Amino acid sequence: MSERNRLRSLLTLVQINGLIPIRTQPLYLINLVASPLSFLFFIWIISRGSDLAYGVMGGMVLTMLGVGTGLQSDLTHYRHDMKFQDIVVSSPVEAPIYVAGLAFSELVYSLPALAVFVVLFVYYGYATLTSVVVLAGALLLVWSFATAFAFTLSTYFKDVRETWMFSPIFSLVLTVLPPVYYPIGYLPGWAQVAARLSPTTYAAELVQGAVGLQPLSFSTATIDWVVLIAFTVALFLIAAFKARWKDP
Amino acid sequence: MPVALRADHLRKVYPGTSSGTAALEDLTLEVPSGRVYGVIGRNGAGKTTFLRIVATQLALTSGSASVLGHDVATQERAIRARIACVPQEARPLYFLNVEEVVYLYLKLRGMDPVESRRRTRDALDQLTLTEFRKRTVARLSGGLRRRVLCAMVLASDAEVLFLDEPTTGLDPIARRQVWESIRRATREQRTILLTTHYLDEAEALSARLALFERGRLVLDGTPEDLRGRVRYPYRVTIQGSYPREELDSFGKVSAIEGGFLVFAREPEARELARMALERGHRVSMGPVSLEDIFLDVVGKSIEDEGTPPEVEA
Repeated sequence: MSERNRLRSLLTLVQINGLIPIRTQPLYLINLVASPLSFLFFIWIISRGSDLAYGVMGGMVLTMLGVGTGLQSDLTHYRHDMKFQDIVVSSPVEAPIYVAGLAFSELVYSLPALAVFVVLFVYYGYATLTSVVVLAGALLLVWSFATAFAFTLSTYFKDVRETWMFSPIFSLVLTVLPPVYYPIGYLPGWAQVAARLSPTTYAAELVQGAVGLQPLSFSTATIDWVVLIAFTVALFLIAAFKARWKDP
Repeated sequence: MPVALRADHLRKVYPGTSSGTAALEDLTLEVPSGRVYGVIGRNGAGKTTFLRIVATQLALTSGSASVLGHDVATQERAIRARIACVPQEARPLYFLNVEEVVYLYLKLRGMDPVESRRRTRDALDQLTLTEFRKRTVARLSGGLRRRVLCAMVLASDAEVLFLDEPTTGLDPIARRQVWESIRRATREQRTILLTTHYLDEAEALSARLALFERGRLVLDGTPEDLRGRVRYPYRVTIQGSYPREELDSFGKVSAIEGGFLVFAREPEARELARMALERGHRVSMGPVSLEDIFLDVVGKSIEDEGTPPEVEA
Protein backbone atom coordinates (compact mmCIF):
# COMPACT_ATOMS: atom_id res chain seq x y z
CA MET A 1 0.00 0.00 0.00
CA SER A 2 1.43 3.39 -0.97
CA GLU A 3 1.68 6.27 1.51
CA ARG A 4 -1.10 8.04 -0.36
CA ASN A 5 -3.37 5.01 -0.04
CA ARG A 6 -2.51 4.64 3.66
CA LEU A 7 -3.55 8.25 4.21
CA ARG A 8 -6.76 7.61 2.27
CA SER A 9 -7.51 4.56 4.43
CA LEU A 10 -6.85 6.50 7.61
CA LEU A 11 -9.10 9.39 6.60
CA THR A 12 -11.81 6.95 5.51
CA LEU A 13 -11.76 5.40 8.98
CA VAL A 14 -12.14 8.87 10.51
CA GLN A 15 -15.15 9.36 8.25
CA ILE A 16 -16.60 5.92 9.06
CA ASN A 17 -16.18 6.00 12.82
CA GLY A 18 -16.19 9.73 13.53
CA LEU A 19 -17.95 12.02 11.10
CA ILE A 20 -20.79 9.79 9.91
CA PRO A 21 -21.94 8.55 13.36
CA ILE A 22 -21.96 12.16 14.60
CA ARG A 23 -24.03 13.17 11.57
CA THR A 24 -26.56 10.45 12.37
CA GLN A 25 -26.48 10.88 16.16
CA PRO A 26 -25.09 14.26 17.35
CA LEU A 27 -25.56 13.24 21.00
CA TYR A 28 -22.33 11.24 20.65
CA LEU A 29 -20.56 14.58 21.03
CA ILE A 30 -21.94 15.00 24.54
CA ASN A 31 -20.50 11.66 25.64
CA LEU A 32 -16.88 12.75 25.96
CA VAL A 33 -17.74 16.20 27.30
CA ALA A 34 -19.80 14.90 30.19
CA SER A 35 -17.16 13.36 32.50
CA PRO A 36 -14.45 16.07 32.34
CA LEU A 37 -17.00 18.85 32.69
CA SER A 38 -18.59 17.09 35.67
CA PHE A 39 -15.23 16.95 37.42
CA LEU A 40 -14.61 20.59 36.53
CA PHE A 41 -17.98 21.55 38.00
CA PHE A 42 -17.29 19.72 41.29
CA ILE A 43 -13.84 21.26 41.62
CA TRP A 44 -15.27 24.70 40.91
CA ILE A 45 -18.00 24.25 43.54
CA ILE A 46 -15.85 22.65 46.26
CA SER A 47 -12.83 24.96 45.88
CA ARG A 48 -15.12 27.98 45.32
CA GLY A 49 -13.28 28.56 42.06
CA SER A 50 -9.76 28.66 43.47
CA ASP A 51 -8.66 25.27 42.02
CA LEU A 52 -10.45 25.69 38.70
CA ALA A 53 -7.13 25.63 36.87
CA TYR A 54 -6.53 22.05 38.07
CA GLY A 55 -9.93 21.15 36.72
CA VAL A 56 -9.06 22.63 33.34
CA MET A 57 -5.70 20.83 33.09
CA GLY A 58 -7.10 17.57 34.45
CA GLY A 59 -10.06 17.83 32.12
CA MET A 60 -7.80 17.92 29.08
CA VAL A 61 -5.90 14.84 30.26
CA LEU A 62 -9.16 13.02 31.01
CA THR A 63 -10.52 13.92 27.59
CA MET A 64 -7.50 12.35 25.92
CA LEU A 65 -7.88 9.24 28.05
CA GLY A 66 -11.56 9.18 27.10
CA VAL A 67 -10.36 8.65 23.53
CA GLY A 68 -8.72 5.44 24.74
CA THR A 69 -11.84 4.29 26.57
CA GLY A 70 -14.04 4.96 23.55
CA LEU A 71 -11.54 3.33 21.24
CA GLN A 72 -11.33 0.18 23.33
CA SER A 73 -15.10 -0.13 23.26
CA ASP A 74 -15.40 0.53 19.50
CA LEU A 75 -12.56 -1.84 18.62
CA THR A 76 -14.14 -4.64 20.66
CA HIS A 77 -17.59 -3.98 19.21
CA TYR A 78 -16.26 -3.97 15.65
CA ARG A 79 -14.22 -7.09 16.27
CA HIS A 80 -16.87 -9.28 17.87
CA ASP A 81 -20.30 -7.93 17.01
CA MET A 82 -19.76 -6.67 13.47
CA LYS A 83 -16.76 -8.79 12.36
CA PHE A 84 -15.51 -5.54 10.86
CA GLN A 85 -11.96 -6.20 12.06
CA ASP A 86 -11.92 -9.53 10.17
CA ILE A 87 -13.10 -7.71 7.04
CA VAL A 88 -10.25 -5.23 7.48
CA VAL A 89 -7.66 -7.92 8.30
CA SER A 90 -8.42 -9.60 4.96
CA SER A 91 -7.73 -6.38 3.08
CA PRO A 92 -4.68 -4.24 2.29
CA VAL A 93 -5.28 -2.10 5.41
CA GLU A 94 -2.53 -2.64 8.00
CA ALA A 95 -3.18 -2.82 11.74
CA PRO A 96 -1.44 0.50 12.61
CA ILE A 97 -3.54 2.34 10.02
CA TYR A 98 -6.74 0.76 11.34
CA VAL A 99 -5.94 1.67 14.93
CA ALA A 100 -4.68 5.16 14.08
CA GLY A 101 -7.74 5.83 11.92
CA LEU A 102 -10.11 4.83 14.70
CA ALA A 103 -8.04 6.75 17.28
CA PHE A 104 -8.26 9.91 15.15
CA SER A 105 -11.98 9.34 14.75
CA GLU A 106 -12.32 9.26 18.54
CA LEU A 107 -10.51 12.61 18.63
CA VAL A 108 -13.37 14.03 16.59
CA TYR A 109 -15.72 13.15 19.46
CA SER A 110 -13.41 14.84 21.96
CA LEU A 111 -13.27 18.13 20.04
CA PRO A 112 -16.18 19.83 21.88
CA ALA A 113 -14.65 19.00 25.27
CA LEU A 114 -11.23 20.16 24.14
CA ALA A 115 -12.75 23.37 22.75
CA VAL A 116 -14.34 24.16 26.12
CA PHE A 117 -11.06 23.57 27.94
CA VAL A 118 -9.02 25.54 25.44
CA VAL A 119 -11.37 28.50 25.83
CA LEU A 120 -10.98 28.33 29.64
CA PHE A 121 -7.23 27.84 29.24
CA VAL A 122 -6.94 31.03 27.21
CA TYR A 123 -9.54 32.93 29.29
CA TYR A 124 -7.62 32.36 32.52
CA GLY A 125 -4.40 33.53 30.90
CA TYR A 126 -2.48 30.25 30.90
CA ALA A 127 -1.68 30.33 27.20
CA THR A 128 1.99 31.05 26.70
CA LEU A 129 4.24 29.57 24.06
CA THR A 130 5.84 27.24 26.61
CA SER A 131 2.58 26.10 28.18
CA VAL A 132 0.97 25.48 24.80
CA VAL A 133 3.93 23.39 23.61
CA VAL A 134 4.11 21.40 26.87
CA LEU A 135 0.34 20.89 26.91
CA ALA A 136 0.25 19.76 23.27
CA GLY A 137 3.19 17.38 23.78
CA ALA A 138 1.81 15.86 26.99
CA LEU A 139 -1.69 15.42 25.55
CA LEU A 140 -0.27 13.85 22.39
CA LEU A 141 1.59 11.29 24.50
CA VAL A 142 -1.48 10.57 26.65
CA TRP A 143 -3.56 10.06 23.49
CA SER A 144 -0.85 7.80 22.03
CA PHE A 145 -0.42 5.50 25.02
CA ALA A 146 -4.18 5.36 25.61
CA THR A 147 -4.57 4.27 21.97
CA ALA A 148 -1.91 1.55 22.19
CA PHE A 149 -3.29 0.31 25.51
CA ALA A 150 -6.87 0.29 24.20
CA PHE A 151 -5.94 -1.65 21.07
CA THR A 152 -4.01 -4.31 22.98
CA LEU A 153 -6.80 -4.80 25.49
CA SER A 154 -9.53 -4.90 22.85
CA THR A 155 -7.90 -7.86 21.14
CA TYR A 156 -8.11 -9.89 24.35
CA PHE A 157 -11.72 -9.09 25.22
CA LYS A 158 -14.19 -11.75 24.19
CA ASP A 159 -17.25 -9.54 24.39
CA VAL A 160 -18.03 -5.84 24.39
CA ARG A 161 -19.54 -6.23 27.87
CA GLU A 162 -16.02 -6.75 29.23
CA THR A 163 -15.11 -3.24 28.10
CA TRP A 164 -18.01 -1.81 30.13
CA MET A 165 -16.49 -3.45 33.18
CA PHE A 166 -13.00 -2.25 32.36
CA SER A 167 -13.69 1.38 31.40
CA PRO A 168 -14.43 2.64 34.94
CA ILE A 169 -11.32 0.83 36.21
CA PHE A 170 -9.34 2.48 33.40
CA SER A 171 -10.62 5.91 34.48
CA LEU A 172 -10.08 5.24 38.19
CA VAL A 173 -6.49 4.02 37.83
CA LEU A 174 -5.43 6.63 35.29
CA THR A 175 -7.33 9.79 36.22
CA VAL A 176 -8.93 9.68 39.66
CA LEU A 177 -6.21 8.10 41.82
CA PRO A 178 -3.23 9.78 40.12
CA PRO A 179 -2.96 13.53 40.81
CA VAL A 180 -4.50 14.65 37.53
CA TYR A 181 -7.04 16.97 39.17
CA TYR A 182 -5.00 18.10 42.15
CA PRO A 183 -1.33 18.62 43.14
CA ILE A 184 0.63 15.48 43.94
CA GLY A 185 1.52 17.07 47.29
CA TYR A 186 -2.07 16.52 48.46
CA LEU A 187 -1.38 12.77 48.56
CA PRO A 188 0.23 10.99 51.54
CA GLY A 189 3.77 9.71 50.96
CA TRP A 190 2.90 6.11 50.13
CA ALA A 191 0.20 7.26 47.71
CA GLN A 192 2.65 9.56 45.96
CA VAL A 193 4.87 6.53 45.33
CA ALA A 194 1.89 4.53 44.03
CA ALA A 195 0.83 7.45 41.80
CA ARG A 196 4.24 7.30 40.10
CA LEU A 197 3.14 3.99 38.55
CA SER A 198 0.62 5.84 36.40
CA PRO A 199 1.85 7.67 33.29
CA THR A 200 -0.85 10.30 33.74
CA THR A 201 0.90 11.50 36.92
CA TYR A 202 3.84 12.66 34.79
CA ALA A 203 1.59 14.24 32.18
CA ALA A 204 -0.35 16.10 34.89
CA GLU A 205 2.83 17.24 36.60
CA LEU A 206 4.11 18.65 33.31
CA VAL A 207 0.96 20.57 32.42
CA GLN A 208 0.46 21.82 35.97
CA GLY A 209 4.07 23.00 36.01
CA ALA A 210 3.83 24.61 32.56
CA VAL A 211 1.01 26.93 33.65
CA GLY A 212 2.64 27.69 36.99
CA LEU A 213 0.25 25.79 39.25
CA GLN A 214 3.18 23.82 40.71
CA PRO A 215 6.88 24.60 40.82
CA LEU A 216 8.63 22.30 38.35
CA SER A 217 12.41 22.19 38.13
CA PHE A 218 14.15 21.51 34.84
CA SER A 219 15.42 18.16 36.12
CA THR A 220 11.95 17.05 37.30
CA ALA A 221 10.44 18.13 33.97
CA THR A 222 13.10 16.18 32.11
CA ILE A 223 12.42 13.05 34.17
CA ASP A 224 8.66 13.49 33.58
CA TRP A 225 9.14 13.67 29.81
CA VAL A 226 11.49 10.68 29.77
CA VAL A 227 9.13 8.54 31.86
CA LEU A 228 6.06 9.59 29.87
CA ILE A 229 7.78 8.82 26.57
CA ALA A 230 9.09 5.51 27.98
CA PHE A 231 5.56 4.48 29.04
CA THR A 232 4.25 5.35 25.59
CA VAL A 233 7.01 3.44 23.78
CA ALA A 234 6.52 0.44 26.09
CA LEU A 235 2.77 0.37 25.42
CA PHE A 236 3.38 0.61 21.67
CA LEU A 237 5.85 -2.28 21.87
CA ILE A 238 3.32 -4.34 23.82
CA ALA A 239 0.70 -3.50 21.17
CA ALA A 240 3.09 -4.44 18.37
CA PHE A 241 4.02 -7.81 19.85
CA LYS A 242 1.06 -8.84 21.96
CA ALA A 243 -2.07 -7.41 20.32
CA ARG A 244 -3.97 -9.99 18.29
CA TRP A 245 -4.54 -8.68 14.79
CA LYS A 246 -4.61 -12.26 13.59
CA ASP A 247 -6.29 -14.70 15.98
CA PRO A 248 -4.04 -17.34 17.57
CA MET B 1 -4.62 -24.95 -14.46
CA PRO B 2 -2.93 -22.39 -12.16
CA VAL B 3 -3.56 -22.82 -8.46
CA ALA B 4 -4.82 -19.83 -6.44
CA LEU B 5 -4.78 -21.46 -3.05
CA ARG B 6 -3.02 -24.49 -1.64
CA ALA B 7 -3.17 -26.24 1.73
CA ASP B 8 -0.68 -28.92 2.66
CA HIS B 9 -1.24 -31.16 5.70
CA LEU B 10 -2.93 -28.24 7.41
CA ARG B 11 -3.79 -28.72 11.07
CA LYS B 12 -5.52 -26.39 13.48
CA VAL B 13 -5.95 -26.84 17.20
CA TYR B 14 -7.45 -23.86 19.01
CA PRO B 15 -5.45 -22.67 22.02
CA GLY B 16 -6.80 -23.99 25.28
CA THR B 17 -8.21 -27.17 23.74
CA SER B 18 -6.62 -30.58 24.06
CA SER B 19 -4.36 -31.53 21.15
CA GLY B 20 -6.66 -34.44 20.33
CA THR B 21 -9.53 -32.15 19.32
CA ALA B 22 -8.29 -30.58 16.13
CA ALA B 23 -10.61 -28.23 14.24
CA LEU B 24 -8.72 -29.16 11.07
CA GLU B 25 -6.68 -32.32 10.58
CA ASP B 26 -4.23 -33.15 7.80
CA LEU B 27 -6.02 -31.03 5.22
CA THR B 28 -4.46 -31.06 1.79
CA LEU B 29 -6.18 -29.45 -1.19
CA GLU B 30 -5.71 -27.12 -4.14
CA VAL B 31 -8.09 -24.43 -5.32
CA PRO B 32 -7.80 -23.67 -9.04
CA SER B 33 -7.56 -20.07 -10.11
CA GLY B 34 -10.51 -18.17 -11.60
CA ARG B 35 -13.21 -20.57 -10.38
CA VAL B 36 -15.64 -20.96 -7.52
CA TYR B 37 -14.44 -23.55 -5.02
CA GLY B 38 -17.25 -24.65 -2.75
CA VAL B 39 -16.63 -25.98 0.73
CA ILE B 40 -19.54 -27.89 2.21
CA GLY B 41 -19.98 -29.64 5.51
CA ARG B 42 -22.05 -29.71 8.66
CA ASN B 43 -21.68 -27.28 11.54
CA GLY B 44 -18.28 -27.74 13.15
CA ALA B 45 -16.84 -29.49 10.10
CA GLY B 46 -14.02 -26.92 9.90
CA LYS B 47 -15.20 -24.83 6.93
CA THR B 48 -14.93 -21.47 8.65
CA THR B 49 -11.66 -22.39 10.37
CA PHE B 50 -10.15 -23.22 6.99
CA LEU B 51 -11.48 -20.05 5.39
CA ARG B 52 -10.20 -17.87 8.24
CA ILE B 53 -6.72 -19.41 8.01
CA VAL B 54 -6.36 -18.80 4.29
CA ALA B 55 -7.94 -15.35 4.62
CA THR B 56 -5.07 -14.61 7.07
CA GLN B 57 -7.39 -14.02 10.04
CA LEU B 58 -6.38 -17.09 12.02
CA ALA B 59 -3.02 -18.72 12.71
CA LEU B 60 -2.48 -22.33 11.68
CA THR B 61 -1.05 -24.90 14.08
CA SER B 62 1.01 -26.98 11.65
CA GLY B 63 1.30 -27.74 7.97
CA SER B 64 1.24 -24.93 5.46
CA ALA B 65 -1.07 -22.95 3.23
CA SER B 66 -0.52 -20.41 0.50
CA VAL B 67 -2.66 -17.93 -1.42
CA LEU B 68 -1.52 -16.71 -4.84
CA GLY B 69 1.87 -18.25 -4.10
CA HIS B 70 2.36 -16.45 -0.78
CA ASP B 71 2.63 -18.29 2.52
CA VAL B 72 -0.25 -17.46 4.89
CA ALA B 73 1.98 -17.63 7.96
CA THR B 74 4.81 -15.38 6.80
CA GLN B 75 3.62 -13.32 3.84
CA GLU B 76 0.26 -12.03 5.03
CA ARG B 77 0.80 -8.52 3.71
CA ALA B 78 1.30 -9.74 0.13
CA ILE B 79 -1.86 -11.84 0.41
CA ARG B 80 -4.02 -9.17 2.03
CA ALA B 81 -3.37 -6.74 -0.83
CA ARG B 82 -5.14 -9.17 -3.17
CA ILE B 83 -8.03 -10.63 -1.18
CA ALA B 84 -11.41 -9.63 0.27
CA CYS B 85 -13.65 -11.46 2.70
CA VAL B 86 -17.22 -11.57 3.96
CA PRO B 87 -16.96 -13.37 7.31
CA GLN B 88 -19.74 -15.50 8.68
CA GLU B 89 -22.00 -13.41 10.94
CA ALA B 90 -20.51 -10.16 9.65
CA ARG B 91 -22.82 -7.17 9.67
CA PRO B 92 -22.40 -3.88 7.84
CA LEU B 93 -21.98 -0.91 10.19
CA TYR B 94 -25.54 0.05 11.07
CA PHE B 95 -25.11 3.84 10.90
CA LEU B 96 -23.88 3.84 7.29
CA ASN B 97 -26.22 3.82 4.35
CA VAL B 98 -25.99 1.12 1.68
CA GLU B 99 -23.98 3.23 -0.73
CA GLU B 100 -21.55 4.29 2.00
CA VAL B 101 -20.90 0.68 3.06
CA VAL B 102 -19.64 -0.21 -0.41
CA TYR B 103 -18.01 3.11 -1.31
CA LEU B 104 -16.16 3.55 1.99
CA TYR B 105 -14.96 -0.07 1.94
CA LEU B 106 -13.39 0.54 -1.46
CA LYS B 107 -11.79 3.78 -0.27
CA LEU B 108 -10.61 2.02 2.86
CA ARG B 109 -8.79 -0.44 0.61
CA GLY B 110 -7.04 2.57 -0.91
CA MET B 111 -9.07 2.84 -4.10
CA ASP B 112 -9.34 6.17 -5.88
CA PRO B 113 -12.67 7.95 -5.05
CA VAL B 114 -13.77 8.22 -8.70
CA GLU B 115 -13.16 4.54 -9.33
CA SER B 116 -14.80 3.70 -5.98
CA ARG B 117 -17.94 5.62 -7.01
CA ARG B 118 -18.10 3.84 -10.35
CA ARG B 119 -17.63 0.38 -8.84
CA THR B 120 -20.15 1.13 -6.09
CA ARG B 121 -22.79 2.09 -8.66
CA ASP B 122 -22.11 -1.06 -10.68
CA ALA B 123 -22.19 -3.38 -7.66
CA LEU B 124 -25.42 -1.91 -6.29
CA ASP B 125 -26.93 -2.22 -9.72
CA GLN B 126 -25.84 -5.86 -10.13
CA LEU B 127 -27.32 -6.84 -6.78
CA THR B 128 -30.44 -4.70 -7.34
CA LEU B 129 -29.62 -2.55 -4.33
CA THR B 130 -29.76 0.80 -6.12
CA GLU B 131 -33.25 1.62 -4.81
CA PHE B 132 -31.94 1.16 -1.23
CA ARG B 133 -28.69 3.09 -1.70
CA LYS B 134 -29.61 5.93 0.67
CA ARG B 135 -31.21 3.71 3.29
CA THR B 136 -29.26 3.20 6.51
CA VAL B 137 -28.24 -0.35 7.32
CA ALA B 138 -30.21 -0.21 10.58
CA ARG B 139 -33.39 -0.08 8.49
CA LEU B 140 -32.55 -3.05 6.27
CA SER B 141 -33.72 -6.65 6.61
CA GLY B 142 -31.15 -9.32 7.47
CA GLY B 143 -31.16 -10.57 3.89
CA LEU B 144 -30.50 -7.12 2.46
CA ARG B 145 -27.61 -6.65 4.87
CA ARG B 146 -25.96 -9.85 3.59
CA ARG B 147 -26.44 -8.62 0.03
CA VAL B 148 -24.79 -5.32 0.89
CA LEU B 149 -21.77 -7.19 2.26
CA CYS B 150 -21.59 -9.28 -0.89
CA ALA B 151 -21.80 -6.12 -3.01
CA MET B 152 -18.97 -4.65 -0.95
CA VAL B 153 -16.43 -7.37 -1.69
CA LEU B 154 -17.62 -8.04 -5.23
CA ALA B 155 -17.06 -4.35 -5.99
CA SER B 156 -13.46 -4.59 -4.84
CA ASP B 157 -10.49 -5.31 -7.08
CA ALA B 158 -9.49 -8.37 -5.00
CA GLU B 159 -8.34 -11.38 -7.00
CA VAL B 160 -9.46 -13.91 -4.39
CA LEU B 161 -12.76 -13.55 -2.55
CA PHE B 162 -13.64 -15.47 0.60
CA LEU B 163 -17.38 -15.77 1.14
CA ASP B 164 -18.40 -17.53 4.34
CA GLU B 165 -22.03 -18.56 3.98
CA PRO B 166 -22.85 -15.42 2.00
CA THR B 167 -26.47 -16.18 1.25
CA THR B 168 -27.67 -17.23 4.69
CA GLY B 169 -31.00 -15.54 5.35
CA LEU B 170 -31.62 -14.50 1.75
CA ASP B 171 -34.84 -15.26 -0.06
CA PRO B 172 -34.60 -17.41 -3.23
CA ILE B 173 -34.63 -14.42 -5.59
CA ALA B 174 -31.94 -12.57 -3.65
CA ARG B 175 -29.83 -15.74 -3.51
CA ARG B 176 -29.94 -16.01 -7.26
CA GLN B 177 -28.90 -12.37 -7.62
CA VAL B 178 -25.88 -13.07 -5.44
CA TRP B 179 -25.16 -16.21 -7.48
CA GLU B 180 -25.21 -14.19 -10.68
CA SER B 181 -22.75 -11.68 -9.20
CA ILE B 182 -20.50 -14.52 -8.14
CA ARG B 183 -20.61 -15.99 -11.63
CA ARG B 184 -19.79 -12.57 -13.06
CA ALA B 185 -16.80 -12.34 -10.73
CA THR B 186 -15.47 -15.65 -12.03
CA ARG B 187 -15.90 -14.39 -15.60
CA GLU B 188 -13.44 -11.68 -14.52
CA GLN B 189 -11.06 -14.54 -13.63
CA ARG B 190 -11.42 -14.03 -9.90
CA THR B 191 -11.16 -16.99 -7.53
CA ILE B 192 -13.90 -17.48 -4.97
CA LEU B 193 -13.73 -19.71 -1.93
CA LEU B 194 -17.33 -20.24 -0.87
CA THR B 195 -18.50 -22.04 2.22
CA THR B 196 -22.16 -22.90 2.31
CA HIS B 197 -24.79 -25.02 3.96
CA TYR B 198 -26.89 -24.90 0.81
CA LEU B 199 -25.96 -27.85 -1.33
CA ASP B 200 -27.93 -26.56 -4.31
CA GLU B 201 -25.90 -23.36 -4.10
CA ALA B 202 -22.62 -25.26 -3.93
CA GLU B 203 -23.64 -27.37 -6.90
CA ALA B 204 -24.92 -24.44 -8.94
CA LEU B 205 -21.84 -22.29 -8.47
CA SER B 206 -18.81 -24.46 -7.81
CA ALA B 207 -16.43 -25.71 -10.44
CA ARG B 208 -14.90 -27.84 -7.68
CA LEU B 209 -16.20 -28.91 -4.31
CA ALA B 210 -14.70 -30.03 -1.05
CA LEU B 211 -16.67 -31.93 1.53
CA PHE B 212 -15.43 -31.46 5.10
CA GLU B 213 -16.41 -33.67 8.02
CA ARG B 214 -14.96 -33.35 11.52
CA GLY B 215 -12.06 -31.23 10.31
CA ARG B 216 -11.06 -33.58 7.54
CA LEU B 217 -11.42 -33.42 3.79
CA VAL B 218 -13.49 -36.44 2.82
CA LEU B 219 -14.20 -35.66 -0.84
CA ASP B 220 -12.79 -33.17 -3.33
CA GLY B 221 -13.42 -32.72 -7.03
CA THR B 222 -15.83 -31.45 -9.64
CA PRO B 223 -19.51 -32.29 -9.02
CA GLU B 224 -19.14 -35.00 -11.71
CA ASP B 225 -16.05 -36.40 -9.98
CA LEU B 226 -17.95 -36.58 -6.72
CA ARG B 227 -20.79 -38.47 -8.35
CA GLY B 228 -18.28 -40.89 -9.85
CA ARG B 229 -16.77 -41.60 -6.44
CA VAL B 230 -19.92 -42.66 -4.66
CA ARG B 231 -20.97 -46.30 -4.72
CA TYR B 232 -24.31 -45.59 -6.39
CA PRO B 233 -24.23 -42.62 -8.79
CA TYR B 234 -27.92 -42.85 -9.80
CA ARG B 235 -31.15 -42.43 -7.91
CA VAL B 236 -34.50 -44.00 -8.83
CA THR B 237 -37.72 -42.90 -7.15
CA ILE B 238 -40.65 -45.31 -7.34
CA GLN B 239 -44.11 -44.23 -6.23
CA GLY B 240 -46.49 -46.84 -4.84
CA SER B 241 -45.97 -50.20 -3.15
CA TYR B 242 -43.21 -52.40 -4.49
CA PRO B 243 -41.73 -55.62 -3.04
CA ARG B 244 -38.88 -54.40 -0.87
CA GLU B 245 -36.85 -57.62 -1.24
CA GLU B 246 -36.76 -57.12 -5.02
CA LEU B 247 -35.48 -53.59 -4.63
CA ASP B 248 -32.67 -54.60 -2.30
CA SER B 249 -30.93 -56.46 -5.10
CA PHE B 250 -30.56 -53.23 -7.14
CA GLY B 251 -28.73 -51.11 -4.60
CA LYS B 252 -29.32 -49.07 -1.47
CA VAL B 253 -33.01 -48.66 -0.65
CA SER B 254 -34.73 -46.08 1.54
CA ALA B 255 -38.45 -45.84 2.21
CA ILE B 256 -39.81 -42.39 1.42
CA GLU B 257 -43.28 -40.93 1.64
CA GLY B 258 -45.45 -42.84 -0.85
CA GLY B 259 -42.75 -45.12 -2.17
CA PHE B 260 -39.05 -45.90 -2.30
CA LEU B 261 -35.79 -44.22 -3.17
CA VAL B 262 -33.16 -46.53 -4.61
CA PHE B 263 -29.51 -45.60 -5.13
CA ALA B 264 -27.96 -47.80 -7.78
CA ARG B 265 -25.29 -48.09 -10.46
CA GLU B 266 -26.33 -46.98 -13.92
CA PRO B 267 -27.26 -50.41 -15.45
CA GLU B 268 -29.20 -51.46 -12.36
CA ALA B 269 -30.93 -48.08 -12.20
CA ARG B 270 -32.03 -48.34 -15.82
CA GLU B 271 -33.21 -51.91 -15.36
CA LEU B 272 -35.17 -51.03 -12.21
CA ALA B 273 -36.76 -47.99 -13.85
CA ARG B 274 -37.82 -50.09 -16.84
CA MET B 275 -39.31 -52.81 -14.63
CA ALA B 276 -41.17 -50.34 -12.45
CA LEU B 277 -42.61 -48.54 -15.49
CA GLU B 278 -43.77 -51.86 -16.92
CA ARG B 279 -45.63 -52.52 -13.67
CA GLY B 280 -47.36 -49.15 -13.96
CA HIS B 281 -45.50 -47.22 -11.27
CA ARG B 282 -44.58 -43.56 -11.47
CA VAL B 283 -40.80 -43.50 -11.76
CA SER B 284 -38.13 -40.84 -11.90
CA MET B 285 -34.46 -41.48 -12.48
CA GLY B 286 -31.39 -39.29 -12.58
CA PRO B 287 -27.88 -38.73 -11.26
CA VAL B 288 -27.58 -38.43 -7.49
CA SER B 289 -27.76 -34.94 -6.02
CA LEU B 290 -25.09 -33.41 -3.83
CA GLU B 291 -27.40 -34.05 -0.87
CA ASP B 292 -27.43 -37.75 -1.80
CA ILE B 293 -23.65 -37.80 -2.04
CA PHE B 294 -23.39 -36.09 1.31
CA LEU B 295 -25.70 -38.63 2.89
CA ASP B 296 -23.80 -41.50 1.33
CA VAL B 297 -20.37 -40.28 2.43
CA VAL B 298 -21.15 -38.79 5.84
CA GLY B 299 -24.09 -40.99 6.74
CA LYS B 300 -26.07 -37.97 7.91
CA SER B 301 -27.85 -35.04 6.34
CA ILE B 302 -26.02 -31.73 6.16
CA GLU B 303 -28.83 -30.34 8.30
CA ASP B 304 -27.87 -32.66 11.18
CA GLU B 305 -25.89 -30.83 13.83
CA GLY B 306 -22.21 -31.67 13.82
CA THR B 307 -19.97 -31.48 16.85
CA PRO B 308 -18.49 -28.01 16.80
CA PRO B 309 -14.88 -27.92 17.96
CA GLU B 310 -14.08 -25.80 20.97
CA VAL B 311 -13.17 -22.42 19.61
CA GLU B 312 -11.06 -19.79 21.30
CA ALA B 313 -12.71 -16.48 20.40
